[in-house]
Amino acid sequence: MVSRTSWQAYLFIIPFAIFFAVFLGYPFFYALYLSFHKVTDIYDAFNALKFVHLHNYIKLMKDVEFWWSILMSLLYGAITIPLSIFVSLILANLLHRTFSLVKLYRTGFFLPYLLDVFVVAIVWKFLYAHPYGIITQLLQRIGINIPPLLASPKTAMLSVAIAMTLKGCGFGMLLYLAGLQNIPRSLYEAASIDGAPPWKQLFYITLPMLKPITLFMVVTGIIGALSAFAEFYGMTGGGPIIRVGSHILGCTKVAGLYLFRNLESLKLGYAAAISFVLLIIALIISAVSAKLLRVEW
Amino acid sequence: MVNKVKAFIIYFWLTVFLIVVLFPFIWMIITSLKPIGTGLTLTIIPRPPTLSNYKSVLTQYKFGRYFVNSLIVASIGALGATVLCTMAAFAFAKLEFPFKRPLFGMFLSVLMVPGLMFVVPQFAIVYRLGWINTYKAMIIPHLANVFGMFLLVQYMKTIPDELVDAARVDGANNWTIFLKLIVPLSGAMIATVFLLTFQFHWNNFLWQLIVATDEHMYTVPVGLAMFRSAHEELHTLKMAASAISILPITMIFIFAQRYFIEGILRGAIKG
Repeated sequence: MVSRTSWQAYLFIIPFAIFFAVFLGYPFFYALYLSFHKVTDIYDAFNALKFVHLHNYIKLMKDVEFWWSILMSLLYGAITIPLSIFVSLILANLLHRTFSLVKLYRTGFFLPYLLDVFVVAIVWKFLYAHPYGIITQLLQRIGINIPPLLASPKTAMLSVAIAMTLKGCGFGMLLYLAGLQNIPRSLYEAASIDGAPPWKQLFYITLPMLKPITLFMVVTGIIGALSAFAEFYGMTGGGPIIRVGSHILGCTKVAGLYLFRNLESLKLGYAAAISFVLLIIALIISAVSAKLLRVEW
Repeated sequence: MVNKVKAFIIYFWLTVFLIVVLFPFIWMIITSLKPIGTGLTLTIIPRPPTLSNYKSVLTQYKFGRYFVNSLIVASIGALGATVLCTMAAFAFAKLEFPFKRPLFGMFLSVLMVPGLMFVVPQFAIVYRLGWINTYKAMIIPHLANVFGMFLLVQYMKTIPDELVDAARVDGANNWTIFLKLIVPLSGAMIATVFLLTFQFHWNNFLWQLIVATDEHMYTVPVGLAMFRSAHEELHTLKMAASAISILPITMIFIFAQRYFIEGILRGAIKG
């Protein structure tokens, strides 16, 4: 037995650790620091920082536009996550067999997942365009008149969610496909012998066996929804605008957009505070959904 | 007979789904081949198909330059990150040292944090360093690729320790073991990490939008964002620019599919 303990290990880690420390570790604490400060001179934002205690957080608690943006992000997640899981499961089940073209289909479904969200958003915006976009025109030809999908309060969020689900469903498909391939055949054989019909096999074998993947999809989906930015920046810019009480709010103005607007106007302290509240919300929701999915299906 | 009907139904639905999923890209390419000003027509075969949109986007609207910028950022970024990840992964997978576990745990904890979290402080740091409008700003903050390192650690752990021990008995030092044994044996996963990092940089739109304010430093998606706000109505050009942006990743994926799929599956299932 040769000893593997070696101080040289640090030499291999140090380069990685330095960049980690400067650009991931330190920023975390720097963001915390910023969140307790306020920029007093936007022409010298990084030096004109004033300590303001919890002021940013207190302001945030009362900021209707902020909570609305969180709500819109969660709504986005609430549509895309179940929809993605549903579509991915169907695709995986259709592909879970051996025929010659499986690979080709798999490639086609998966490719859009790798493409840039913003660019795909631009393409979808073009498809959705009103009244001359192809979707509106085709539907019109068969006698269906639709409102401008991205500009109507009722359809804007749903339209973005559908576009992004179609872009991203290849990811879930791939995971579920691998999951299906890992379920032992003997489970189904035993169930068949016991006379369990296919739908029972689905609910008592397939879905429970795929639960870890579903959990993964939910957790990454929540983190993704709370970070969502480029699809809304590209497709709606946060609109359309509606009035809720005395507030004027954007129907698709998600947290990512709200953060970006604050960063753009160099409200660094406030933007940092938004980041932290987002982080806390993401952690809480992930923990809760992990618990829920673990207890029962 | 029943099986054939079943197979037909499955093919049928798969094909319908595939057309729906790929339709945006098909329509993008069709539109990009139409003469300028006819982007909103429903003709499926452009008459006559023209490459003039690509030409004017690449030269007149400087997407050639943006493309080169994207390429530089993604290649150097991926190369740097892969080297750093591979070295660190070797230490975590094959060496023992004090604080190994807490250190690894600390690195991995970042994966739980939404990426948006880091944008504000990273921007502040890059700004103070005077890096706005440089390649450095786009590349260096993303050099520590935690996910890539995790993938490599998992992979290197499957290399038998006996091999490492035998090399050590023969007098090989850590550096030799790393370069001559571990790196060659991990080639496939190293390629995966390189490709995933390349794809990450190619699509790193929000960050590039923030740090590139000078036209000469735009990457393809940033250029597209600016082009769009200036020329919303030039659909054929917009679609040509989108196609240019999508092309490299599509080509890489088609030729190196198994690396992408391998990496993503391993990351999700073990993680």
